[in-house]
Amino acid sequence: MRSHSERVMKAVFLLTACVSIIAVILICVFLFASGIPAIKEIGLTDFLFGMSWKPGQGMYGIFPMIVGSIYVTAGAIIIGVPIGLLCAVFMARYCPNKLYKVLKPAVDLLAGIPSIVYGFFGLMVIVPMVQQNFGGSGKSLLTSAILLGIMILPTIINVSESNIRAVPEHYYEGSLALGATRERSIFKAVLPAAKMGILAGIILGIGRAIGETMAVVMVCGNQAVMPAGVTSGVRTLTANIVLEMGYASGLHRDALIATAVVLFVFILLINLSFTALKRRTD
Amino acid sequence: MKKNTMTKIITLTLAAVMALGLAGCGGGNSASEGGDITVISREEGSGTRDAFVELTGVMADDIDRTVDTAEISNSTSVVTQSVVGNEAAIGYISMGSMTEDVKALKIEGAEATTENVKNGTYALQRPFNIVTKGELDELPQDFIDFIMSSDGQAIVEEEGYIAVGEGAASYESKGLTGTITLAGSTSVSPVMEVLADEYKKVNEGVTVEIQQTGSGAGIQSTIEGVCDIGMASRALEDDELSQGVESLEIALDGISVIVNNANPVEDITMEQIMQIFIGEIISWTELQ
Repeated sequence: MRSHSERVMKAVFLLTACVSIIAVILICVFLFASGIPAIKEIGLTDFLFGMSWKPGQGMYGIFPMIVGSIYVTAGAIIIGVPIGLLCAVFMARYCPNKLYKVLKPAVDLLAGIPSIVYGFFGLMVIVPMVQQNFGGSGKSLLTSAILLGIMILPTIINVSESNIRAVPEHYYEGSLALGATRERSIFKAVLPAAKMGILAGIILGIGRAIGETMAVVMVCGNQAVMPAGVTSGVRTLTANIVLEMGYASGLHRDALIATAVVLFVFILLINLSFTALKRRTD
Repeated sequence: MKKNTMTKIITLTLAAVMALGLAGCGGGNSASEGGDITVISREEGSGTRDAFVELTGVMADDIDRTVDTAEISNSTSVVTQSVVGNEAAIGYISMGSMTEDVKALKIEGAEATTENVKNGTYALQRPFNIVTKGELDELPQDFIDFIMSSDGQAIVEEEGYIAVGEGAASYESKGLTGTITLAGSTSVSPVMEVLADEYKKVNEGVTVEIQQTGSGAGIQSTIEGVCDIGMASRALEDDELSQGVESLEIALDGISVIVNNANPVEDITMEQIMQIFIGEIISWTELQ
């Protein structure tokens, strides 16, 4: 009787495990089945390196969007990583217990805020701020980078903090014993030891930034042209899909799915480098 | 050397943040100082955009000439909010969605009011259509009768749009039950939702499902028979009509051209709107 129910449960567990795998496979099949023919029809180079996106006139070049996605993500990393990393150092090594009890839930809350709320916050607060201080219309590369920089903070802080905490205490104590100051011990002994874990956190942050849609679409301006500077608007790959998916038909729709294929490949590369990094650390 | 890598990375990124901050420091930009116009448009395929580019002449020879540098927003509220936050911005929204936070420009001297849309002096107007295919079932037909009745048209007026069916009879419930599915324009949906709520009050056994998919998708769904009634905020195109669908005008809507309240410009011509949206006029000083 027992072995029978055990076998049943085993099957249930196997089934639930299969669901996620099947979902990934189905998404892959769907994406590539509709995306690849579209890329073929448009032409790989025309699609990836074409400079203009005018579906009404049959021009489907997503190069400005690829560049836009990379710029925005890079900007988010430049803004989010120093803040996140230093915050993690503070939380792991300096923070008094009382403050930690407030800080930790605050960071977790930051991670739980829906992206559409971030978007409205960006539109109401960051856009006018950028417009007044840096000129332009305010909806720009810089605005998106600042907003995404804030959005990836929880990922970077949480992963970095746990990795800094995982460094054996004697690294720190040994460094102190050799006469180094507290700061020196943290930045030169503890952080280098946690380097791989912190990098993993940054890669996760990149993944979140490049895939973010609803918040970015509200603050990036969505011009499908190459950005001329940090204060000019950009359109990211995700924004391109969400803006036009609602009504697109025919080749236009397939071109949007092909855009998703490109995005998928980006995410795949990011995840692969994450796994590779993890293997190296282990 | 390896120990220094992390500190180096940190220093470099911090320096980069500072440099970015300094490099971006520029002057402000506002209409009163004659700044560059920030053009805000909707995404391609939006019913409001379709109607706007057609009426203003931005669309010529079937090519939408909207300037590449125009900001693209995918909803009315984002357009409004962008104009509130930017003194140099110009955008367009449905007249029924106007708020006090932004200023609607007069077009060719005509103020953006429902009266001017009705008497035709305000040229930027479009029909709200519902789309049907073939003979309708009793229930959807009853809902359409309700929309076109004096009760339905009163709701249309209340919501800030312009009624079309003048002198229609009032509606009487036939006590039908069932589900009606509507799909289409995001501009028509708000008024349709109010109409549906009122309809459900007098017909308790009825469920009305409204899907906001955009005009084009709504018409497509009607052709395919996925929904009972489609909603479109533009006139139907010939190739759509040739697939056996019919349209019925349920209301008129004006499109307001909106600017920031601090913008000194009051009046604009259709020609100027077209030139702004195709990038020929790039500065507010060129309008004064």
